[in-house]
Amino acid sequence: MILTLLFTTFVTVFLAEIGDKTQLTTITLSSTTNKPLAVFIGSSLALILATLLGALAGGSIANLIPAFSLKLLSGIVFLIIGINLLSQSKKEFSNDIL
Amino acid sequence: MGDPNSESNQEPLLPDDSTSFLGILITSFSTIFLAELGDKTQLATLILSAQSGRPLIIFIGAALALISTSLLGVLIGRWIANNLPRQRFTLISGVIMLSLGIYLVTQGFIEYVQN
Repeated sequence: MILTLLFTTFVTVFLAEIGDKTQLTTITLSSTTNKPLAVFIGSSLALILATLLGALAGGSIANLIPAFSLKLLSGIVFLIIGINLLSQSKKEFSNDIL
Repeated sequence: MGDPNSESNQEPLLPDDSTSFLGILITSFSTIFLAELGDKTQLATLILSAQSGRPLIIFIGAALALISTSLLGVLIGRWIANNLPRQRFTLISGVIMLSLGIYLVTQGFIEYVQN
């Protein structure tokens, strides 16, 4: 019974998250940095904490922090990382000694 | 043992790869945490809907699934880094991140206007 519940949750969440923007971010971060372990630990911690917060807030996290502000904020973070990566690729083109 | 040259006590830092372990960890944490927090409503509902039963089991199941997807993501990223030209992929990654950013900002703005 417990195992069934565990398995059902696992499969549901796994399928929901695969190919999500989160995983895209993880792929991007781990392929452009040399520290896959750091990316793995960081993203796992973030996902677990976000899940825990969601569970504790009982689905009302959107009432505490309006969803649009979260989207704006994370959008800005993505923009910053994107610009960062673009300038990094420019730098890599100019000194490809690696 | 197999690598005598790695014994030199101070490895020179490559100027390009100087981003620290902790820096990358914090970057991934904050990015994904922020991105997931706004996205977590369905998952919270799922957990809530099962709360009559065993929330801990649901949480463990969800956490295991999320760890697996990030592990998969990291492995895919490693594979890409080893098999595709790095410079080009940095560029592609930058474009992907910019697009996601524009998408999220637009979404947030639309939701703000609708409220």
